[in-house]
Amino acid sequence: MQQRVITVVLLVGLFFGLMTLGSGMSSWRLPDNQQGYAPEQPIDYSHRLHAGELNIDCRFCHSAAEQSRHAGIPASDVCMKCHQFVTSSFDVRQEEIKLAEKEQRKPRTIISDKLRPLYKSLALDETLKPKADVTPQSIQWVRVHNLPDYVYFDHRAHISVGVKCQRCHGPAESMQRMQQFETLSMGWCVKCHQDATKDGIDGRAVHASTDCAVCHY
Amino acid sequence: MKNADNTNEISRRRFLEAAGFSMTLAALGGCGRAPTENALPFVTQPEGTIPGRSRSYASTCGGCPAACGLLVGVRDGRPLKMEGMPEHPLSRGGLCAIGQALPLELYDRLRLQHPLQQGKQVDWKDIDRAIAKQLSEIAAKQGAVRFVTSTVTSPTLKSSINQFLSSFDNAQHVTFDAISCSAILDAHEQTHGVRVLPHFRFDQARVIASFGADFLGTWISPVEFTAAWRAGRVPTETDAEMSHHTHLEDRMSLTGSNADRRFRLSPDDYGGVLSHLATRLVKLSDVPPPAGKLTASPIPDKEVAHLADRLWESRGASLVVCDSQDIAVQSLVNFINHLLGNYGETIDIARPSYQRQGNDRDVIALIEELNAGQVDALFVAGNDLTHNLPEHAALVEAIKQVPLVVSFAEREDDFSSLAHFVCPDHHPLESWLDAEQVNGLVSLSQPTLQPLGETRSILESLNRWVGNTDSAYEILRSHWKANVLPRAKSQEFNEFWDHAVHDGFVEVEPRVVSAQQFQTDAVRLIERQQPTEGFSLSLYPKIGLADSRNAHNPWLQELPDPVTKVTWDNYVCISPLAAEELSLSNGDVVRVTTADGRIEVELPTLIQPGQHDRILAIALGYGVRGTDRFANIGPDWIEAKPMLAEGELVGKNVAGFIEAGEGAISYFRNGITLEKTGRRRELATTQRFHSLEVPPHVAPHGGEVREQIQETTLAAYRKNPKSGAPESHHPAGEQLWAEDHPKTIHQWGMVIDLNACTGCSACLVACQSENNVPVVGKDEVRRQREMHWIRIDRYYSGNGDETGVAHQPMMCQHCGNAPCETVCPVLATVHSEEGLNEQAYNRCVGTRYCANNCPYKVRRFNWFDYEHNDTLQNLVLNPDVTVRSRGVMEKCSMCVQRIEEGKIAASSRGEPLTDGEIQTACQQSCPAQAIVFGDMNPLFLFAVPLEKKSETEELDKRRIPKLLRAAFQNNEKKLPEHVSVTVLEEGHKWQVTAEASRYVVRKATEELNVYEESRVGIALANPRSYGVLEEFNFRPAVSYLRVVNNTAEDATNGGGHV
Repeated sequence: MQQRVITVVLLVGLFFGLMTLGSGMSSWRLPDNQQGYAPEQPIDYSHRLHAGELNIDCRFCHSAAEQSRHAGIPASDVCMKCHQFVTSSFDVRQEEIKLAEKEQRKPRTIISDKLRPLYKSLALDETLKPKADVTPQSIQWVRVHNLPDYVYFDHRAHISVGVKCQRCHGPAESMQRMQQFETLSMGWCVKCHQDATKDGIDGRAVHASTDCAVCHY
Repeated sequence: MKNADNTNEISRRRFLEAAGFSMTLAALGGCGRAPTENALPFVTQPEGTIPGRSRSYASTCGGCPAACGLLVGVRDGRPLKMEGMPEHPLSRGGLCAIGQALPLELYDRLRLQHPLQQGKQVDWKDIDRAIAKQLSEIAAKQGAVRFVTSTVTSPTLKSSINQFLSSFDNAQHVTFDAISCSAILDAHEQTHGVRVLPHFRFDQARVIASFGADFLGTWISPVEFTAAWRAGRVPTETDAEMSHHTHLEDRMSLTGSNADRRFRLSPDDYGGVLSHLATRLVKLSDVPPPAGKLTASPIPDKEVAHLADRLWESRGASLVVCDSQDIAVQSLVNFINHLLGNYGETIDIARPSYQRQGNDRDVIALIEELNAGQVDALFVAGNDLTHNLPEHAALVEAIKQVPLVVSFAEREDDFSSLAHFVCPDHHPLESWLDAEQVNGLVSLSQPTLQPLGETRSILESLNRWVGNTDSAYEILRSHWKANVLPRAKSQEFNEFWDHAVHDGFVEVEPRVVSAQQFQTDAVRLIERQQPTEGFSLSLYPKIGLADSRNAHNPWLQELPDPVTKVTWDNYVCISPLAAEELSLSNGDVVRVTTADGRIEVELPTLIQPGQHDRILAIALGYGVRGTDRFANIGPDWIEAKPMLAEGELVGKNVAGFIEAGEGAISYFRNGITLEKTGRRRELATTQRFHSLEVPPHVAPHGGEVREQIQETTLAAYRKNPKSGAPESHHPAGEQLWAEDHPKTIHQWGMVIDLNACTGCSACLVACQSENNVPVVGKDEVRRQREMHWIRIDRYYSGNGDETGVAHQPMMCQHCGNAPCETVCPVLATVHSEEGLNEQAYNRCVGTRYCANNCPYKVRRFNWFDYEHNDTLQNLVLNPDVTVRSRGVMEKCSMCVQRIEEGKIAASSRGEPLTDGEIQTACQQSCPAQAIVFGDMNPLFLFAVPLEKKSETEELDKRRIPKLLRAAFQNNEKKLPEHVSVTVLEEGHKWQVTAEASRYVVRKATEELNVYEESRVGIALANPRSYGVLEEFNFRPAVSYLRVVNNTAEDATNGGGHV
């Protein structure tokens, strides 16, 4: 009797447990390990296209990485450095130019659906002129690499000694959608610090401390 | 116990199995993704801003009219940390507690967000129209317009007020200071023919005599005066000179607690002592004596003669100051300073100070006018008029009769509740403004964020009402172009302006102040008054709170008074002797009543050593409208007691006891009776022990005492700079701790000069602001659970006139052999290789063993999750420091976030860290520059990057200290075995590692003579240096420099804080 009660309890528990886990069961991870996290972003931005195919340096957009704790997400107007000209794919624009030649008019600006959220953020209309009555709004990117609040990571410290971006962020230049490549766990940080102190970075000796207060304060 | 084999029962084992299974599932269920967090970049990045980087803006502190130089640390668009401006000629890098607490006031939800008309929210347009309409009516019938402000240091605001008032026939600007110095100005009008407050130069004074002036705490410009006073207070081996500071006062003020010689003297008797002093000085100089009769001196003639001789010997380099509000007394002070030739030397009257301009005569006249119903329009800015003046009920009735009452209050206060219109001014951090502290020194305040509410600068309001719609920035610029530029050497305005905005201040040609010859006729000797019956009452401003405007700031309310150590209340200070006579103890509520019985207040007593036996003292600035908001501040838990009863305010307002005397407002009153009410109110004090004396029955063998505050006298110091050090009583024996801490290039340390430290507590608020230290409320302070990372211990010795006071800042000492580290079961507190005692909050489980084992009692436990529900107030939190949660231990980290920031910044620049580059928050703000922080290791221990190890030329280019070069040329084999120099082949990097303790390293390098001491190293080598409890071999990284009192060697005053 007793055994049966327990079995039923355990089965019910297992059922509800599996229900709760559901989608999260794709891989076995320790709590708080966000490895592989690749949330959908408001703009379907491709690192593979920009950093991979077009070979734009990481620090062109994440320019604060050398000067601040945060690498920073580029402001919308940084995107506009290129995207005031590049508003849709090459083929679409070529077609429009041809069509315009045929119809003997100036080519129209054609905005691809993918880029619409960017122009919306800057409150620009179809011709990329600012809309008078709309206030520009930040793009609500979803944060991918998120350390706990009691961890203080400084991009500057790592960049200045020559740690490559890919060492922590993985091959971003091959990612269509950005994902967390490493575990970003404390053990992973400490291991790298120990290795760097032992072997140096690119042949340069460094002292990567493993004191608590290097990251926790 | 039931039989486990009984199958009808769930066995313990079964239960645990099932529970474990469920727990595992629950844990796995928690493995889902963390909540989605958005990252919002700018749309257009403002030029020069870098996310996560703090930038400093030069500005001027708006906390009080002293207007110290300020560097506002702004990060991601919000001002967070106030720092002193080291270049500022007056404040010299210091900043007081009020300045440090500015950001909390900025992010206050109770600040008015909109203008109010009859208490209702309205638009600026409507309010402007309504005021303009009424003003035109008043102008037409030539009505009286009175504009009341506290001291206006801003030349632009002053000119705007004058411009506004010039459109009325009967208009007057009345300057009313809640803490007035009016008598000093009036006395100078009588003796020098100009109504000015001279600029006191404490740095030039070798002998200082202060009659009640708390110049290190609250008087006129305490930060500036502390910096100046400190200049004469630090003897060195080569120059063993110190200024001598005599203090005569009624209560125990911060300044009195730092004096070399202190007398208890009733303010009624200041005149008597000054008359004797003047008479003696007249004899020494060849000047006719002033009129008047000389009566018996309140203090022994011998002491007066001694003081007079001392002053005379240092004539031209002495200074007598007095805070009396009696013009005759102040005239006598002027006469003495004149006899001593101090004018032009320690007292600058040609470049007077504008930091106090209050004119009590005007204020008294205004009250009469109000009572007579002769005022048609009343404007009040920068001051809560009704809260800070006596005769409250009559004044309120009189103001209610005024047809137009306008307040510029930042939050609703007592006066603004009477106002028809409230036109809230910006917070000083939100607005453009200027200040001329001293004739010829003009400072700028610049906004550091967009105004948080629909407030408007008072400059704009005033100009709007005379038809000028310029912004405050334009008003300021045009005033500077017309009035400040002509006084400057520069010709080009934009260049001049940019320079001023960048630096925060400019020095320009002073205005001409034509003081007359000294008018000896204006001076009379003052007869000693007959002592009156009963007690006298002395009202004083409290450090941190000053006048009522800071009462809404919980940091300042929880700041322990530097002398009494009481928070969150005002109280009646009474001398130990009087308390004994009346059998009063701390916390007994007493009723203080005036002779006519019209004014009374009930407050708890506080027994204050060093207080005059017949004088009671109560702090002003309490009982402020709206402070009932703090009733439930602090953690919400089952035993929480509300701090205040229903509708009760923090403290009581005692402005009712202020007396309008002859031409000045007096904060001293005779004929006071005191009676016990039988009730008690426990004060929230942060220090419950006041003396370090060891009772004989527990004294160790031989009566040996541990001297935590070591003191010596100047005479003894001259003979032996190490005097005051205890006899070595603990021979170095077996050590409990092994020398196994790894050490790298930096070993952080701190040295605090106790001779410079005044105990002002600015560091305490600086630390609170930097390190997100929570406010816990009165109930928790009573339970001794305050969270401040620095406490300033205050110890008394002696009694009566001989009461000595010692202040000692105490924070985590970062012991090399830390007792806390050995008892932590989870290694949450461990030692870093740079000599810091680290506390990892995320590892701490809250056993509190470490706090128990800490000999300095500097660890603070988070008993609760302290309140962080106010999203606006949370903007004050420093994003570089974790907000600690319930159940973890915390303590001073030596601002490790700043250390890391400094190291990383240096590494990004590719240069070694320079000595002094990293400053802790407490060190930065210290007005007395008593704190030195930095690397204890000699400078040559820095690792220096080299391109090629053999090229000395390369070394030069990289500005390597010459010492390392010497060490390099000396050949590493010559270095003693304690110090090894290794060349890391791969990195071409010099690294000098010290295997032994820093003491050994220094000794070794001394032999080699190839090092340059760091600033901390130099301070440690000072013969006055000692470590608290160092005999236990904790090896604290914080050291102290012994106090030197400028007293005769045999004097009992001062010494003996044991």
